[in-house]
Amino acid sequence: MTVVSNVTCPVCGSLCDDIELVVENNRIVKVRNACAVGEAKFLGFADPHHRRVKPLIRKNGELVEASLDEAIRRSAEILAEACYPLLYGWSSTSTEAIRVGLELAEEVGGVADNTSTVCHGPSILSIQNVGIPTCTLGQIRHRADLVIYWGSNPWNAHPRHLERYTTFTEGRFQKSIWIRYLTKLQGLIGRKKAERAAELVSPRKEAMPQTEKVEGLPPPLKAEERKMIVVDVRKTRSAEIADYFLQVKPNMDYELLQAFRMAIHDRELDVDEVAGVPVELIEEVADVMLKCRFGMLFFGLGLTMTSAKIRNIDAAISLVRELNERTKFTIMPMRGHFNVTGANVVFTWQTGYPYAVDFSQGFPRYNPGETSAVDILARGDLDAALIVASDPVPHFPKKAVENLVKNPLIVIDPQVTPTSFMADVVIPSAFVGIETGGTAYRMDHVPLPLKKVVEPPETCLPDEVILRRILKEVRRLKGMRTA
Amino acid sequence: MTIIKLAPKRAFKTPVNAQTITPDAFQEKTMSEIAELHVWEGNRRRKLGELFHISEEKTAGSESLRIEVSGDLRKVRWIGAKMTTGEIIINGDVGMHLGEEMEGGKITVNGNAEAWLGSMMHGGTIEVKGNAGDYVASAYRGSTRGMNGGKIIIHGNVGNDAGNAMRKGVIIVHGNAGQFAGVNMHDGAILIKGNCEGRMGADMHGGKIVVCGHVKSVLPSFTIEAVRKRVKFEGEPVEGPFYLFLGDLNTKGKGKLFIAKNPNQHLSFYEKLL
Repeated sequence: MTVVSNVTCPVCGSLCDDIELVVENNRIVKVRNACAVGEAKFLGFADPHHRRVKPLIRKNGELVEASLDEAIRRSAEILAEACYPLLYGWSSTSTEAIRVGLELAEEVGGVADNTSTVCHGPSILSIQNVGIPTCTLGQIRHRADLVIYWGSNPWNAHPRHLERYTTFTEGRFQKSIWIRYLTKLQGLIGRKKAERAAELVSPRKEAMPQTEKVEGLPPPLKAEERKMIVVDVRKTRSAEIADYFLQVKPNMDYELLQAFRMAIHDRELDVDEVAGVPVELIEEVADVMLKCRFGMLFFGLGLTMTSAKIRNIDAAISLVRELNERTKFTIMPMRGHFNVTGANVVFTWQTGYPYAVDFSQGFPRYNPGETSAVDILARGDLDAALIVASDPVPHFPKKAVENLVKNPLIVIDPQVTPTSFMADVVIPSAFVGIETGGTAYRMDHVPLPLKKVVEPPETCLPDEVILRRILKEVRRLKGMRTA
Repeated sequence: MTIIKLAPKRAFKTPVNAQTITPDAFQEKTMSEIAELHVWEGNRRRKLGELFHISEEKTAGSESLRIEVSGDLRKVRWIGAKMTTGEIIINGDVGMHLGEEMEGGKITVNGNAEAWLGSMMHGGTIEVKGNAGDYVASAYRGSTRGMNGGKIIIHGNVGNDAGNAMRKGVIIVHGNAGQFAGVNMHDGAILIKGNCEGRMGADMHGGKIVVCGHVKSVLPSFTIEAVRKRVKFEGEPVEGPFYLFLGDLNTKGKGKLFIAKNPNQHLSFYEKLL
């Protein structure tokens, strides 16, 4: 039995790097420090129901087992023959594999796109439009006295984000609000108990007088200590933790952000409420923003993938930029997959563009909407696809999936996914961050090493090795074709 | 007049980059030279003659050049890019980037056009008899300079972000428009005769947007200035009455947003502020 410490968790963009794993006979038997999602992955990744170990090739309409060499040769043939192949995925693999993937995309003259095209792609477009004032999570942990989560629910999607980097963390200059939250929770529990008891004594609904809704902001927001605000369309678990929850009407975040921009400059609004929020309240929250010493705005897919998309982020970044005229304020996207930031970083350093890069004319070209995966698939422009560490079939629009599976499809993935069932070639790989090492980028662009903890099955090679072998085979085939 | 007619030899599956289909590239070339011009089909470099039937017709009159392209051209992109003279007539639906950065001449589409129609154009005229996609006359990703002159007339509807970062020129939409018409615009004029999905003129610095149909709402960063009986557009009066909003105040903009009063009774509360 060995204990491996300081393991980086390959699940979400928070990349917690304090995980401890107990390994026995090449199996992980105990996980310490991880959240429920991370623990489930470390303990359950090798479950034979979810794990594929043998390469498959479709013959006469059926997927049959094949040798790795045969699967690699068939993949190379598909890619070398294609006029406009799509190479999609990349966010759940290592930066080393992504680098080889881009070399392959250039060699076959295809389009390389990563999953940010369906999550924070609009954020990237906005950053190119407006710029981004940001910092690392360490700075937030120690200094941020106001944390805003807009359109994101960290309690469920990034479970240790609050505990490691923001509200519940004990920073050097900012204390955790954990005790304040516990007191609030105890108060709520006490109140519920009292209500239940009152109902038992006299089962009338009006037994317990309802507390009147307090006008204006709660006292913690006026205090000097750390504060948390959540803006969302519904009261999520994170919103319950927050000191204040601002409920915005669905698809109207843009209006609210523009109203905040007006309010921080003391400009008068012609209307009484914006996106369901009274103007007086907007002005009060704007004051809280202006009075903080170090503010942080985290935004999620509630902002990037709702109506107005990139314009939402344009407005959010502009708001933060304007707040910086009066105080210190920063902004950061809440990235989903563990290496989606890494995919953007590698794409940028290799090609100059962060995603949706088209190599069809021999040089990198970028125009999301035209060269992005969902749009190419929806229009049916592609004639082959390679999917690496991603599962578009259950997540993409129906028309896009129809066009994806109509054409030759290669899947490199360690897991059994719906996409792999629709593929023509399936190559199982090793789990990055568990069975093979590498590098991944945290959501604040800090690169962290991923550890190899257990040995992969013999037939499962790392993504990087598989891609390099396909690349070599493509080059051999292309050499033959040119000759 | 010389008329060069093109028609696809087959249906295209992958995008075709046809930047060479412009009067500038065809001028003073023989038919065989035109057939030798390069186009891209996906990642394969082809000759124009491999993908299109090409024929020539000469008529009496001026010496100008007209290109007529007919058929299903939804995958054919960049027709008329950077053209400075002559005329292109497209019979059928056409793909993205039609007339990108064009400087002169005229393009007529007897069908629909896809996104990025006339993006960053400097001059000339584009007329689309059907609908157009998103980003009409807009700036490319990361650029702050959109349409800088010329005229675009759409008889159908347009998508989102029409006239993004527009600097000069005129866009007339006879149908409806999506969201963010005239976003980030600096100057120029947009007339939308139908309805608009909203957020017109977001972050605009200057210029004029006129909406004759219904709008859901006006952004909170605009302020009411007046009610006008009519508005002048390209020298011609458009009958109102119109609410005149100024904005976008977030960018200290001096843009003018005219919204027709009659189809927008839900905006009547603004009148109290006048």
